Amino acid sequence: MGMRRFRLTTMLALLLVGVLVFAGCATEEPIDPQATTPVNDDIPVGTLVFVADGEEHAREGTSSKDGWDIVFEHAYVTLTDIIAYQTDPPYDVEDGWSIEYDHMVGLPGEHTVDLADPGSDPATVGAVQEALEGHYNALSWNIVRAGSGPAEGYTMIFIGTAEKDGESVDFTLRFDREIAYQGGEYVGDVRKGILEPAGEAEMEMTFHFDHFFGRADKDADDPMNVDALGFDPLAALATDGAIDMSMADLEESLEAGDYAKLEAILLHFGHVGEGHCIAEPLT
Amino acid sequence: MDIARITTLIVAMAFLLPVLPVQAAMAHGVDVTVTPREAVEVVASFDGGDPMSGAQVTVFAPGDPAEPWLQGTADEEGRFYFVPDPARPGTWEVRVRQAGHGEIIRLEVDGSGIAGTTGTGLTALQKVLMAAAVGWGAIGTALYFKRRAA
Repeated sequence: MGMRRFRLTTMLALLLVGVLVFAGCATEEPIDPQATTPVNDDIPVGTLVFVADGEEHAREGTSSKDGWDIVFEHAYVTLTDIIAYQTDPPYDVEDGWSIEYDHMVGLPGEHTVDLADPGSDPATVGAVQEALEGHYNALSWNIVRAGSGPAEGYTMIFIGTAEKDGESVDFTLRFDREIAYQGGEYVGDVRKGILEPAGEAEMEMTFHFDHFFGRADKDADDPMNVDALGFDPLAALATDGAIDMSMADLEESLEAGDYAKLEAILLHFGHVGEGHCIAEPLT
Repeated sequence: MDIARITTLIVAMAFLLPVLPVQAAMAHGVDVTVTPREAVEVVASFDGGDPMSGAQVTVFAPGDPAEPWLQGTADEEGRFYFVPDPARPGTWEVRVRQAGHGEIIRLEVDGSGIAGTTGTGLTALQKVLMAAAVGWGAIGTALYFKRRAA
């Protein structure tokens, strides 16, 4: 009996070691963010902090390609299924959704952040303690309709004011399209995602508001301005200096070409710093 | 920031025969040594084909992803050259950024030289063209000058 127990214990121990050693995966299947690859007490760990950034365009305002000065009061985004990966070779978005990883860390739960909050530079979404050390060089997440809170029922809500030539338009734009994003390593001033033992590292989901409205400091034929909606089409829909519209309202009211632009912009909204992501609608 | 991305990257391999250093005797006691090296050529452009003129280029050596090994600026045509340290084999990383656009690409360096690139962000066609260009016998020689004052 004692020998059987010993053998059983040994087999289980070997199985556990195998799981830990051969944790690498390649999958296009949905990944459960709760299912973070396990680490044991002997493996060095640190804190992986997940943040979201709307950059200065969201926090300080932006000048659109068509001359509107836009200031956001709130820019709510609701995030779920946030997963960081250690990949080697490094994940490349050109390879599509299939991602081979040695280790993954998921942030459970639904998180609504306000990217327009001056204090959100960037906004902290959440943190995972005891994440395995190493270089997290890929990130995936979804934007979903919030189940509760200030953005309940919507994936994103932008609230603010646009001004041009003495005209002022208060806007509330409500989006309900759920979208999955996946990107490689953060590209920016610094390297992110490098977690040292007992240290802390950031994984950043970046949202480019200039894709929506374009930029006054770029030429009209700059590809981004060509693809951006600008604010003129929205201002044209304002009544008594205000517009409050959902995605369905915009589909009904905008010209077809402008609405098509808006749909495309939503898929190019999520980045990893300056690095591009792949994206697909979930709804 | 926009849909633009780096469309072309790397490598020009110099398939050079070993050459003895050339020493040119010069007046006033200047000693110049010219040594052929295997260099990496980075060519960065936007989706539309415009070069990333003056882009910031940062090179990271293997095993030290947080500390730049080399920093520089691309020329008007978005080109940047560097010579990896052959004593540090492994994955070298090159970050190229300009005005909100950026990408990190990687190349493998082994004991025999530059082995290839990964994570270039290239389309399949571009990868094929790149491979063809490298196979064709590309370019890339860096000059090493050693000066000694009299």
